[in-house]
Amino acid sequence: MAVLTPQRSAPGSGAPQRESRRLGFSQRLGRWDVKLSPYLYISPFFILFAITGLFPLGYTAFVSVHEWSLLGGQGDFIGLQNFADVLAHPTFWKSLVNTLSIFVFSSIPQVIIAITIAALLDQNLRSATFWRMGVLIPYVVAPVAVSLIFGRLFADQYGLINSVLNTIGLDSIAWHGDRIASHVAIATMVNYRWMGYNALIFLAAMQAVPRDLYEAAVIDGAGRVRQFFSITVPQIRATIIFVVITSTIGGLQIFDEVRLFDATGLGGPDRNWMTTVVFLYDTAWGNQHSLGRASAVAWLLFLLIVVIGLVNFLVTQRISSAGPTKKSKRKSNTGGNS
Amino acid sequence: MSSVAVTAQTAGPHAAKAAVRRRTRRSGSATHRAGPVVYILLGIVLLISVFPLYFTLLLGSSDPVEISRNPVPQWLPDTSLFTQFATVIESTQINFWLALGNSLIIAIVVSASVVLFSTLAGYSFAKLRFRGRGPLLVFVIATMAVPTQLGVIPMYILMSDLGWIGKLQAVIVPALVAAFGVFWMTQYLAEALPYELIEAARVDGASMIRTFWSIALPAARPAAAMLGLFTFVQQWTNYFWPSIVLSSENPTLPLVVKSLQSNYFVDYSLVMGGVFLVTLPLLVIFAFVGKQLVAGIMQGAVKG
Amino acid sequence: MLSSTRPTRRTAARTLQATAGVAAVALALTACGAAEGSEGGSEEDGPITLKVATFNDFGYTEEMLAEYTEEHPNVTVEHVKAATTDDARSNMTTKLAAGGEGLADIEAIEVDWLPELMQYPDLFTDMADPELDGRWVDWKVQQATTPEGKVIGYGTDIGPEAICYRADLFEKAGLPTDRKEVAELLGGDSATWEDYFAAGREFVKESDVAWYDSAAGTFQGMVNQLPAAFEDPESGEPKDLGENTEVKGIYDEITASVDDELSAGLEQWGDDWVAGFQNDAFATMLCPAWMTGPIEQNSGGIEGWDIADVFPGGGGNWGGSFLTVPASGENAEAAKELAAWLTDPAQQTKAFESAGTFPSQLEAQDSEAVQSFTNPFFNDAPVGEIFSTRAQNIDGAPYKGANYFAIRDEVTNALNRVDITKSTDAEESWTEAVEKAAALG
Repeated sequence: MAVLTPQRSAPGSGAPQRESRRLGFSQRLGRWDVKLSPYLYISPFFILFAITGLFPLGYTAFVSVHEWSLLGGQGDFIGLQNFADVLAHPTFWKSLVNTLSIFVFSSIPQVIIAITIAALLDQNLRSATFWRMGVLIPYVVAPVAVSLIFGRLFADQYGLINSVLNTIGLDSIAWHGDRIASHVAIATMVNYRWMGYNALIFLAAMQAVPRDLYEAAVIDGAGRVRQFFSITVPQIRATIIFVVITSTIGGLQIFDEVRLFDATGLGGPDRNWMTTVVFLYDTAWGNQHSLGRASAVAWLLFLLIVVIGLVNFLVTQRISSAGPTKKSKRKSNTGGNS
Repeated sequence: MSSVAVTAQTAGPHAAKAAVRRRTRRSGSATHRAGPVVYILLGIVLLISVFPLYFTLLLGSSDPVEISRNPVPQWLPDTSLFTQFATVIESTQINFWLALGNSLIIAIVVSASVVLFSTLAGYSFAKLRFRGRGPLLVFVIATMAVPTQLGVIPMYILMSDLGWIGKLQAVIVPALVAAFGVFWMTQYLAEALPYELIEAARVDGASMIRTFWSIALPAARPAAAMLGLFTFVQQWTNYFWPSIVLSSENPTLPLVVKSLQSNYFVDYSLVMGGVFLVTLPLLVIFAFVGKQLVAGIMQGAVKG
Repeated sequence: MLSSTRPTRRTAARTLQATAGVAAVALALTACGAAEGSEGGSEEDGPITLKVATFNDFGYTEEMLAEYTEEHPNVTVEHVKAATTDDARSNMTTKLAAGGEGLADIEAIEVDWLPELMQYPDLFTDMADPELDGRWVDWKVQQATTPEGKVIGYGTDIGPEAICYRADLFEKAGLPTDRKEVAELLGGDSATWEDYFAAGREFVKESDVAWYDSAAGTFQGMVNQLPAAFEDPESGEPKDLGENTEVKGIYDEITASVDDELSAGLEQWGDDWVAGFQNDAFATMLCPAWMTGPIEQNSGGIEGWDIADVFPGGGGNWGGSFLTVPASGENAEAAKELAAWLTDPAQQTKAFESAGTFPSQLEAQDSEAVQSFTNPFFNDAPVGEIFSTRAQNIDGAPYKGANYFAIRDEVTNALNRVDITKSTDAEESWTEAVEKAAALG
């Protein structure tokens, strides 16, 4: 049991009733109903995933232990040589550092901005639809439009931002020359695209928070900010975990923004903003044409994401379960029920 | 909170229904109307958000020379935008209406399927007990960590073995389920659906599927609407995979837009006209789904 | 199991499509009939559709393709255009990697993809045809011919290079503006890169504008003149970059010019580069025939571009494309015939008129239509004539083996570090390139 609120002892719908009632055919049927239904409900996902997800995964694993070029196809079995090659490649490590750095610049501000926007949208607004849909527009507009705009903002010599900086007497920022600056620029593009999206996810969760909790808090004399931290945040804990984990996974797979950041799309001459997924792409489709090594990169990245995801989960879990009062209250509730 | 639980336990489904209504109703003394500060902040957010769409309109109304000369070619869109629309729709090179139909079919089928299967699985993971639940859920989440770029070749081989290259099912079938959706519905239902309601329905003698249908589904409605919206937009703007398995005889809208963008020099005026035209149906859907999103909670309460 | 294709996957694909395969064979047979007896146009020919996949703008108009159907009533031609060469390339390699299903009957490729594709000649139909001998400039055919003599594609266009320059900026700096005088300034028929950079040093003394747009762009023009830049043509093995004095010489010449502020420091096709056209960022550019299009479109409202019939260091070619017929196609013979027709001088002349793609066919180059073609944007320069002369100065195609682009990209990156990001000095950057090139493979 991982991501769900684990300390809640789920009373389950079936268990208590099963013992108490009279036996009979319908009862037995009901028992099977209770036992099998959960599996039945999750089966569409797993069946389809087995076909469309597991096959590529297995294929990738198979490819990764062979000499395998994109067009030449399968070569000799070489064990873990591809993994060793990749781990010995300095650009792989550079790409990992870039990925983590861009991830830090994107995910953390993103979650904070998104939750703030969601809190704003959760107010009792006039024409709420308008506001809610408005924030989602960056997600909707085709990347070509967005990249065109950001290209004009972040161009080194004739970009809007540097022009403004020069006008007010400051030095230009080398968006494509300075490593950190390039990470900030890419993270900005990522944040821009996803902040409204994540805000709406938070909003949906906030809307499900029982309003009487707020009423009680108001009676207790809690202010807005206090309400937010002592009611909203603990109540939407599972959603916070969700957003943190999905944006971690997404953040470690940043691809499009890097491809669009300059004309070559491979992270610049120093590979200063090449992410690991772009490295993977370059390994398979670029000059190396080694599908074998690219598959090894894919598996390494996969493992890394799982590890970071787990760490993330544990940390988020700790932070959000440290939220005050609410948790114990819930616990006593559910305890009373079962 | 505890009052809900108690009523559910003692007074049966009708009381529970009333409790839900109370639990989820929006208005109340605690949520007074938003003040001007909120509107100002949201206004800033909205300005930033809407800018690319507006910019798209501006570029679609300008000519390429203006675009390459000025960062912002003009401040107001004008009617020359419609020339670009006409060029896109009437071009013999691209089949706009076919692409529109294809995009609609793909987006509708995929979002319906993702919402249904995700809600089912999410309900199961969040509220039902079964062996292997924890590991299976972790597995679902882990699948999101697989870099998609590398799946392209095996998936293409699979589609070509099935003889689906160039057909819509090559785009639809792999997208019918989404780990993201399952995870999202799981997390949402864990918070939004009280166990008491499920118990009440079960005590009433409802079967598992009926419980799902009449209790879980309505409670999931806001999240489901959102998931549906996200999936729809994602499919609508999806370029990479369709560009590989579909072709210009049977394209989707993003493929059509991309084909406007040929040559070493990009006629951004035309491309942006196309981009806006393709975004337009989404905006209409926004207006519609948006209402659903806002109204979702109230409806959930009535049906529950 | 070492094999050049992937038999298991492909067999699986074939069995699954057994029925479709039978039909396809039948179609292919009738198509062969059509190919051979096309002049007669026998009635039994089954109708076939041939798909042609290109990118950018090859100048193959609807009318042109309809013309083919008129001559071959059983053949319908369908033209699929990818937006960018990158899209086209990843699309094609993915499909080739997956066994060939879904590829067009004719796939256009760029010359730069050849080093990779030539390693797998089995993926393509042999296009060698004695009847077509002498249609193209020799080196164009050479580029697409494997050591075993297999021809994997028919040439469409080439990119003979001239020098494009801004006459207005030249005038302000006190340099001649007339295209003949500019050609002389840069050394005329015996122009060298030294002349080109020397003129640049004169120019920047009198002007705030840079001489050329990008070090990497200039480099690729220079390195393309080395017969075997990075690899040994005999063995195909990469040369040690650290001891490659030819390339190092070019590198030093360019980095010295960067130090003297001859370069605008722009990455070609990047946002700054595009904006640079509007901001008078540079006064000259290496200019293959197809580059005239982007220059014109990026320079809307700018007057003063002209073309000088000169190129330092002799002739030079940049880019150009081919039409290939993937071996997995069902109508290979018919596709080959169509490819031959599309690359016929008559068609390529029309393509040049519609898209500015300079023909690789001798007869097309000499044609009246090409010779008399002028470009109003470049001060009515006789571009047809200029690029024909430029093409005649190209004496062969440089050797580009499997490692060519991997090594070239390392040197390009080194130049960009000096020219664009200015993150290291020239020597340090070179050392890094040598190390990285050694680590390739």
